[in-house]
Amino acid sequence: MTYWTLNAFFLVAVAGVAVLAIQRAWRLGARGTGARGTGSGGAGGGGAGGAVSGRIVSARTVAARTVAGPAVSWPAVGITAALLLVMTAVFDNIMIGVGLVGYDETLISGAFIGIAPLEDFAYTVAAVVLLPSLWALLPVSSGSASARTDSASASPPGGDA
Amino acid sequence: MGLLYLAALTIALTGMVVLDRRFGLFFWADARRAAVVLVAGIAFFLVWDLLGIGLGIFFRGETSFMTGLVIAPELPIEEVFFLALLCYLTMNAYAAAGRMLARMPADRRGAAS
Repeated sequence: MTYWTLNAFFLVAVAGVAVLAIQRAWRLGARGTGARGTGSGGAGGGGAGGAVSGRIVSARTVAARTVAGPAVSWPAVGITAALLLVMTAVFDNIMIGVGLVGYDETLISGAFIGIAPLEDFAYTVAAVVLLPSLWALLPVSSGSASARTDSASASPPGGDA
Repeated sequence: MGLLYLAALTIALTGMVVLDRRFGLFFWADARRAAVVLVAGIAFFLVWDLLGIGLGIFFRGETSFMTGLVIAPELPIEEVFFLALLCYLTMNAYAAAGRMLARMPADRRGAAS
């Protein structure tokens, strides 16, 4: 089995977790487009709270959001991916250059970034998609900083830092 | 010399902890969730590594930069630290990027009014 074939299995698993996170965000946000900007934690208060106070905000949505994590911020994933891919290019080349790891040349595609096999970047892609998706799927711990400010990394908060 | 790679990884991980603590990014945002994400991430990538090693795709290099301690054939102890760093860096960067993006519209609103 080649390196790409192996990667394919793991990238499919990562995509599966990402789909779960997206589905959950849709379910929770389906009728909450007006409430999306509130920061959803309930602790946001301030001006943002006022903007929706006259609306009927589904109690179920609010309750669900306080137990489920905020949705994945895909723009933030994009920025993280750009940073991590550049760092992978730099450090993977160093690690291979000094001989920390070796590859069977018959099992890699032969596409390289410097001396780093392109396949290695699958780890980075997997990390930046899988980990934020898991983070979003896990329930927020009560009493944590996340529970108070909510979604540092997701939905646009309604003002106060 | 055998400690060089492990030391470099430990220093980098320490940097991640410092940034996390200073800006409340990962463990300092939600310790329980962060622990689950970090452990799951490391486990996921270790399985990936083990299969790659088992299939003969990659292997531990002959180098004097590593301790030589292995947790499985061809899987150096350093790899666990490397994967922890990859996961921690990813989540710190993700939280920081999210915060940066969240701040942008607020700035625009502030400038407009």
